[in-house]
Formats: sequence, structure tokens, C-alpha cells
Amino acid sequence: MALLNPKTWSLAIKLSLTITVVVTVVGFMIGSLMVWQDWSRFHEELGEKALLLSESVAITTPKAMLRKDYWSLYLSLKNMQSRKHEIMTAMILDAEGRVQAHLHPADNPMGLPFAPADNVERELFSRAMAARKPIVIGSGGFTRNGFQEGVVPLYSDQKYLGVVRVRLSVAQLYEKAKNSALIVLVLVLVFVIIGSVLGTLVSRRMVEPLAAITQGLEALGRGEITDFTPVPIKENDEIGRLSATYNQILAELAEKKMLEEEIAMSEKLIALGRITAGVAHEVNNPLAGLLNCIDTLREHPDDKQLIDRYLPVIDQGLHRIKDIVHNLLVGLKIEEGDEVEGIEHIDKLHDLIIAEIGDRDITVVWENNVDKQLQIPGKLEQIVFNLLKNAVEVLPDGGKLSFKMYLAGDYLNIEVSDDGPGIPANIRNQLFDPFFTTKPNGTGLGLWVVYRLTQNLEGIIEVQSEKGQGTSFHVAVPVKATRAA
Amino acid sequence: MRSIILLLLFLTTPAYAADTRPPIRFGLTAVVVTENLRFLDQWSHYLEQKVGRKVELVLRKSYREVMDLLDSGNIDFAWICGFPYVQSRDPESLRLLTVPVYRGAPRYHSYIIVPESSSHQRFSDLKGKIFAFSDPDSNSGFLYPLALMVELDETPESFFRQTFFTFNHAETVQAVSDQFADGGAVDSYIWEYLAIFRPEITEKTRIIDKSPSFGFPPIVSRLGVDPDTVELMKNTLEGMDEDATGKALLAQLKLDRFDQYPDSLFNGIRDIANRVKSVYSGFSALSN
Repeated sequence: MALLNPKTWSLAIKLSLTITVVVTVVGFMIGSLMVWQDWSRFHEELGEKALLLSESVAITTPKAMLRKDYWSLYLSLKNMQSRKHEIMTAMILDAEGRVQAHLHPADNPMGLPFAPADNVERELFSRAMAARKPIVIGSGGFTRNGFQEGVVPLYSDQKYLGVVRVRLSVAQLYEKAKNSALIVLVLVLVFVIIGSVLGTLVSRRMVEPLAAITQGLEALGRGEITDFTPVPIKENDEIGRLSATYNQILAELAEKKMLEEEIAMSEKLIALGRITAGVAHEVNNPLAGLLNCIDTLREHPDDKQLIDRYLPVIDQGLHRIKDIVHNLLVGLKIEEGDEVEGIEHIDKLHDLIIAEIGDRDITVVWENNVDKQLQIPGKLEQIVFNLLKNAVEVLPDGGKLSFKMYLAGDYLNIEVSDDGPGIPANIRNQLFDPFFTTKPNGTGLGLWVVYRLTQNLEGIIEVQSEKGQGTSFHVAVPVKATRAA
Repeated sequence: MRSIILLLLFLTTPAYAADTRPPIRFGLTAVVVTENLRFLDQWSHYLEQKVGRKVELVLRKSYREVMDLLDSGNIDFAWICGFPYVQSRDPESLRLLTVPVYRGAPRYHSYIIVPESSSHQRFSDLKGKIFAFSDPDSNSGFLYPLALMVELDETPESFFRQTFFTFNHAETVQAVSDQFADGGAVDSYIWEYLAIFRPEITEKTRIIDKSPSFGFPPIVSRLGVDPDTVELMKNTLEGMDEDATGKALLAQLKLDRFDQYPDSLFNGIRDIANRVKSVYSGFSALSN
């Protein structure tokens, strides 16, 4: 259908088609005008010839008529025939319209009134009989049966004697006109072909840069900017200037993209450095105390009191290192584990977080609006737990924790809100950085893990927070793929 | 048109340088086909060689004009029709020289012809039609059809709707063949001649009446011509069948030879001329 809709055609096609149509119409108009003029001129000349023949017959006719020399009258008509004209008919009539001589005597007997064959002939006959000076009468139109007739009235001493009619066929001229029309037609066709080819070439040449610019911009729209080739500039017209501007814009965009890639790379390096520094710092801190404990225990291997005091410290320190490494592995190696589980696993977190709250005064509002049959990725459980645990940790006594889960379109939405102290604006954009923490004992990996897991699930995470107004995390992950599984 | 051109044409051959005598002038009428200029040239050349004098062939449109030239002494010899020959002249101005022999006899006919497609079978069927006469002084082309009308107790005006003269037998055949005329009267010799050389014309005509035989159009001499020249011309013509060139010329004319015949050969024409004259006292007015 797109092929049939002219609005979707390429500009090159439309332009060359327009040129072709214009050239064709103009060509044929000029051609038919030429043919028509040719034909009219032929017709006019034929009429003059017919008149000349009639007049030449009329010179000797009156005398012969008065002498009743019918044979001479007949011969004067008959002898015209040997010349190069195609004489359809010729006749000499007297004042009463009686045949004095006719080129076709068998059908038009001498001495009898001339009998026109049909209405057209009757009309021509009365026009000829009414003529009092030489005239040309003829058939109009472009037909091979047409004719031109020279009519010359005959006088002797101002007495009207009759009329000479000589009718020439246009058949020969028709052939001539047809041949010249054919030549004109061929010329027009050649003209049209040449014009169309030239028009196509010119429009191609004009539209080529536009097509290249359009393709380039379409690619840009799809986000493909990699293989940018500049549009060659041939002329300094509007299209040339457009091409130049396009080239400039594309070059700048390419440069910008390169810069962005460089920045992204250096940001990656910075993040890696931060992680490395965080790991080094977080692991190094307990390590110094642990090594100290081990040294003391080595010096006093038999001091039971020291062992009892230091072993729990060592155990605590090692567990902290283990937690850090575990969380790092979770954050860094999330490709593994695409297992799914029932939605009810999320509800189990309710009990877990109640246990976590213990005897603290925190209200939990739990709202699950999702169908029990839904399957969710296992990673979602960890995301929710981390967010809940984070909220519990920041909530003071008397605080309120809200959990809300619902489906919107193809997305499973989870909101975890608290009415705690909120996040100060200045640290809000560092929230998901690894090892960033505001808590005295925090590792700074909790929200980072949440962020990484959400990313891995192709979801989005939003945080809304106002100092003193509480914080709300909103996670949305697609469930379409999960449902199918 | 051609006949008009011929009318104005005097055929001449190169004059003999030593010969200062005036040329022998020989008048021709439509009793022979006069359109063949090459033949006339050859014939006059032949006669010049035999007679030893320049011979000029003189052509005129009508028989009457040739007769006038004879009367006025402008020509010495003429090939004329039997009808003007039998007319009484006072004083007699011409003498029978010799008569052509055609198909074994010095005789010919008048043919009444109609277009081939015509339904007319007899002369009387042509009543109310258009009729072409050849020449008002022609026996076969005018006198004979007049005689037929006398028998029918008619005149040309009462019998035919229109009549006209072509002044030429060949053109009478043409007029009938073109259906310009519904009928015509022609010399049988000319019709047969055309049947050989222009059959496309005669094929379109049909003979519905053949006259009794008449004396063939004779060659006459003017009385004032000196007897030696007359004798020389007579011998030359009558001796044409004795040499190859003469025979070839005769063959072209489709004639056997020229020969001497008595004046009584033309009695048949005299008879019908008298008969017609007794009915139409003023019939010469017919020839305009």
C-alpha cells in the first residue's frame, strides 16, 4: 500500500516524475499544435488549388456553354485529372443547376438537374449555386474523407450562366499530414525521453544529499551514530549549505559521544577505585585488631581469660569481613541465579522484619495487592528485604514502616516507605554508591546491592525523600517474562 | 486539349536545300487517327523521298476546315470523308485520287455504339438519351445516324435529349466509353484501330448497329494541282505496298494498300445523303 500512496514516495521519484509529466504534456501540446497547424495549412493550400483549377476551367467554359459544346466542357474537366491532384469530383452546372458536364457522367447525366446524394451534398450544392464570386467550400475535421472545393460562378456579359465546382480530396494530404504527425510524435517521444532522463539525473543529483542527510538523521534517531560519513558538498546552494550544516552537526555529535564514552570510562575507573579503596579500608580496619588479638594470644597461649575475651572479637571481625565479601559478590556477580519463586516468599519477609524489629516500637503496614499465582525472580526478595531492613535501621521508636506491592501494566511495583528522618539533599545522589554509608556500623553495600539487582532485572528504582518527612523507595520490575516462565 | 494542340501544329520536315519549290501540302482529317505524331513524321518523310519534294501534313479540327483549305487552294491533297466528297460543288474543285483498301476491300461501316454496361440493344432504344456525333461532315459519324432517324421519322432534336459533336471519331468512342454519352456514331475503321491500340476504351463500348458498307474515306486532289504532281502522288501512294518502308507504314495504319476505284464506290453515301437532304432541307444547320 505504501507503494501506491504518492505521499510516501521518495523525493527523487516525485521530482523526476513531475519533470517527466511536465515535459510530456508540454511536448505533446507543442506537437499537436504543430500537427494541427500543418494540417490547417495543407487544407488552406488545397482549397487554393481547388479554386485555381476551377478558375482555369471557368476561363473557357462560358463560350463552350453558349455554343453547347458539351464535349469540350467535359474534356476541360477530364483533362484536369491527368495532373497531380486527387480530384474527387468536378462539374459544370448551368444557372438552373442542370449538369452541363460532370467528371462522373454515368451517375450525373448531362442536361438533367444535378441531384445531390445526401443532405450534406444538398447544402454544399445550394451554397455553390448561391455563390456569386469565387469561394472555397470544404469539409472540416481531420479525416481522410475530407475535401476542399473551389466554386467559381460563370458570367457572360454580366449574365449569370452557372457554376464550376472542382473538389479535391484531402486523402493525399491526410497521408502527408499523418506522416508528419508521426515524425512529430517520434520527435516528441525522443524529446520526452531525453527530458525525462535529464530531469531524473538532475533531480537525483539534487536529492542525493537530502537522502543521505535523511538516512543519517534516521540512524541518529535510532541511536546509531558510529559510522557517520560526511555528505559530499557539490554546490553552494540551499542543499549544499544544508549538507555542510548537517556534516558539522554530525561531527560535533560524534565528538560529543566520544567524550561521553571517555567520561563513562573514567567514571568506571573512579567507581572501581572507590570499591577497591572501600574494600581495602573495610577489610583493613578489623584486620589490624584481629592481628593484634592473634599476636596477644600467641604471646599468652595459656591465658584462658584472654582466649575467652579475644575469640569472640576475632569471630566478630571475621564475620564482618565475610559479610562484606558476600555482599560484594552479590553486587558484582548478579548474573548468576535466574531462579523464580512464588510471590508468597515476599510475604514471608513480613515475619522476618517483625523479628528484626524485635521489641522496638515500630508499626508495620503491609499491603500486598498481587495475585498469589504470580512468579517473581528470587532476587526481588533480597531487594525488598534490604529496603525493609534499611528502613527499620533508620526508624526511631514510634516510627512507621509501610510496604505496598501492586501490579501496574507489565510492571510489578513495590513501595517501601518510612516516616524517618529522611535523606539530606547533599548525599541523595551518593545513596547507591558502594561503601557509602551514614550508619556507624554500616558497610555501605546494602543500597548498592539493591540498585545492582534492580538493574539486573531491567527494572527501575526511584527514591523520594524530604528531610524530616521520611523516605520512600519505589521499585518497578517487569514481570512479563517472568509470567511466561 | 490534345486535339487543340494538334490543330495548331504544322508538321514539317527539313527542307531540301536545293529545292526552292513550295511544299506539297497534304490535309488530314479525323478519318485517320492523327494523334500519332511519330507516324505522321515518318509518313511525310517517306512521301518526300518518293515525290522528291517537301511534303507538309496539315491537320485541322473539323472536316469543314480541311474542305475550306481545299476550296481556297491552301492544300493540294486531302484525306477526307466520303460524305464531303459526294457533296455537289459548283464548280467541281476536287478529284478522286486513290482509295485505301481495308481488310481486303475499299469499304467501311458506321458503328452505333453504347457503353458496355448499357441495356440498350437497338438504335431506337436511345430515344431521349444523349448522343455523340463525330463530325457534321462525317458519313459514319453523322449522316448514317441521321438516316436512321429519318427511318424512325425523328429529328436529332426530337429523338435525343442532348447531342454534341466531338469532331473526332476516337473522342466519340471516348465519350461513350466514359458514359458521358449514352450512344455514339463512329467510323468502323477507327473503332477497330482503337480496339487494337487502346482496347481499354473500346472494351467499355458495345456495337448495337452496323451500317451497310460504304466507300472508304478517299484521298482527293485539288483540281488546280499540276497533273504531274497528282500522278506522282497517286503512284507513290498506290505503290506503298511494294516496298518495305511503305508496307510498314501501311501496317501502322492497319490498311492493305491504296488503290484506284471508280467514283461509283461512293454511291451508297450519295443515296443516304440525298434521302436525308430530302427530309431535312436545312439540316446543315445542325453543324452549328
